[in-house]
Formats: sequence, C-alpha cells, structure tokens
Amino acid sequence: MKRVVSVSLGSSKRDHTARVEILGKIFEISRRGTDGDFQKALELLQELDGKVDAIGLGGIDVYVYVRGKRYAIEDGLRLMRAVARTPVVDGSGLKNTLEREAVRYLTRETEFLRPGTKVLVVSAVDRFGMAEALTEAGCDLVFGDLIFALGIPHPIRTLPELERIANKLLPEMVKLPIEKLYPIGKKQETQDTEKTQKFARFYNEAQVIAGDFHLIRRFLPEKLSGQVILTNTTTKDDVALLKERGAGWLVTTTPEYEGRSFGTNVMEAVFVVLIGRPWGEIVPENYMELLRRINYRPRITPLN
Amino acid sequence: MGTADELFASLGTFCGAYNENKALKEMNRDWDRVVVVEAPDIGASFTLILKDGELTLKQGRLPDADLRVEGPSDLLTDLFYGNITPTEPYLNGTLKVFGSEDDIMRLDFISLMIWGE
Repeated sequence: MKRVVSVSLGSSKRDHTARVEILGKIFEISRRGTDGDFQKALELLQELDGKVDAIGLGGIDVYVYVRGKRYAIEDGLRLMRAVARTPVVDGSGLKNTLEREAVRYLTRETEFLRPGTKVLVVSAVDRFGMAEALTEAGCDLVFGDLIFALGIPHPIRTLPELERIANKLLPEMVKLPIEKLYPIGKKQETQDTEKTQKFARFYNEAQVIAGDFHLIRRFLPEKLSGQVILTNTTTKDDVALLKERGAGWLVTTTPEYEGRSFGTNVMEAVFVVLIGRPWGEIVPENYMELLRRINYRPRITPLN
Repeated sequence: MGTADELFASLGTFCGAYNENKALKEMNRDWDRVVVVEAPDIGASFTLILKDGELTLKQGRLPDADLRVEGPSDLLTDLFYGNITPTEPYLNGTLKVFGSEDDIMRLDFISLMIWGE
C-alpha cells in the first residue's frame, strides 16, 4: 500500500482519510490540517519525511505559473525545503493540466461553457491553465483577482491584462507571508462580509463561478440563482452550503473518494508515485497520460 | 541620510507617474485617502492626497490621515523613485506603514503597478 499525506495550512476540520485503488495500486490518502499554524506544518512535514511515499502541500501554492513564467512563494519554499527524502508537491504542476482538461471536457460534453457564457474566476492568477482554457472556450470572463484580493472594483477581462498585472505584482507578493495571500486557518471558515456585500454583483451576473473553493466561499452571497460552481476540493458540508445558497451545479476537477474530493496537491502526489520519477522531471504529458489511463472526468453534481 | 528636498522630489516623481497612468487612476476612483509620509531622521513630513482617482502632494502633515508611511529618509526617497520595492523593508520593520490592512495592500498595489517589473 502506498501512503500519500497532504499537509495543509487549512482547517483540521477538513481532515480525512480514504483508501482507494488507482491503476492497480492501493493508496491510503489522508489530509492533515494545521489550522493556519506554519510551525506545526513544518514539524509535521519533518515527521512524515521518509515515512510516506509522497507528500502534498495543501492550502499553499509553492509555485504560481503565468504563461511561461514561474514564481515561487517564499513561505511555500520554506515548507517544501523541510522535506529532504520524500517527494513533495504543491499541486501546481498538475493543476494547469487537470483544470485545463476539466474545462475542455465541459466544453465538449456539457452546455455549461458555451461561447459567451459569463464566467467569474474569483482568483485566476494561481490557475492560469483554467483561465487559458476558458478563454479558448470563448467565455465572457471576469477575473476577480483585484476585486476580491484587494477590494478594487476592477474586473480583469482578458488574459493579456491578467498576465500584465500578475507579472507586475507577483515578484513582490511572493515574498509576503502566506496568510496575506490566501485564507488559512480560521479564515477558511469565515466570510469577508464587507467584500461579499460590496461585490455580490460579480457573483450574481455570472453563470459559472470558478476557482479555489475557499475563495469562492469566502465571498459567496446569501443567494445564488442556479450558477454552476467549478472548483477543486469540496466536503459534504461545502456541498450542503452551495445547495442551500441556491447554486445549480457543482463541478469538481479532482475525483471523489469516499464522499469528498481531495485537493490537487493530493492528486499530484498520487501521480508522482504512479509515474515513479522525481517531480522535477515530470512534464505535463506524463500527467495527461495518467489522466487518460484513469479515464479522468470532472465530477458533475446537480444541486438544485 | 537624504534631504527633505530629495524626498519631496521623489514623491513628486511618484505622483507624476501615478497621474500619467489612466488605468490606475480609473481603478482608484473609489479610494479617496490621505497618506502622510514621514522621515523622522530629518524631521520631514509630506502628505499625498488621493481623491477621485487623482493624486496630489502637499508639504507638511495634514490631519486625519488614513495611512502613515514612516521610514528613514534615504529609504523613502529610493522607494518613491521606484529604486527599491517596499516588501522587504516592510517585513523587516525598517519601513513602517500604519493603517488598515486593506489600505496598506492597496497602497502596495499602486506602487507596484507604477514601478513593478
């Protein structure tokens, strides 16, 4: 049996363990949250190093890709460097491929992403692959990075503009502590009520709301009107919340095991074990091949 | 140690660069703020006023500031000329910025959009 553990800066309330068979190998996949405690995450990583087959870093990107450029978040690098023997990944390598494929699948097989569909990507800078695929699909896009991260009522509408702003901001932003960049710990359980009320119109005007679920939830209005939510990791409670708020469909880009979808970092850790090569040597086509072999499909759930 | 004139000139350059950036002005139309910039080592204070997207610079310290930026004069001069970025001095405490977290992030955003890569 192969053991994959995701160490997350997120809430420990979302911890979960599942045993699954993937391409003939049995995996025990578990997630352990440290409630925003960075030091605890470092210690846990050191404890797991050499004892499991792969480690995923959750709640933090180490690398952010903007087209051909890669930026490293310093707090993420610190966590990664705590692990010396076991392969450790943050999901960014797979995210680009997986989410791009999820969008292409939805475009081919569903009516969710027809050309002109209004899509809000709450934060696009950490999922450039999804942003590119949605652009290719001809969607009418709003990238909400400035709106929801900085409170600036300026919807970014094109990929070139996203790229230009990202390349100006990221070289400095990656130096900031992770809690300034992303909701961790208790912040994952609360809403930013001021921004939620001020910017509800961007959610209301969208037919599809896409991106990281913690961010989608942090700014989720009280009432939706049947929108499709296109996201990564959800728990049963998250699904119940979306149903209650009036979302129409939930599409998760990572497969579900024992009632929940695991983060992309977990899937990438599993793939690294299956591929059997160092992470630095893996290219997108290696992930694509595995996605084909497991007959990857995003999971689509009707909610209302 | 820098001089008050040098710091004033760098703030003027910053203002000019901001006011030439139509997109940035449009983005900040909703954000009227008074920002005091102080260099205690030379006893100099200046005020940046952002209103309806336009940025102006005044000598001295206006009351009721929303934000206060404080640091050594040479650091502030380099900062507002765009020779250095604020992140590291802010994280190591050399540059102090007082205000709400959202306002501090917005000010950071403005400076990076002007001087960023």
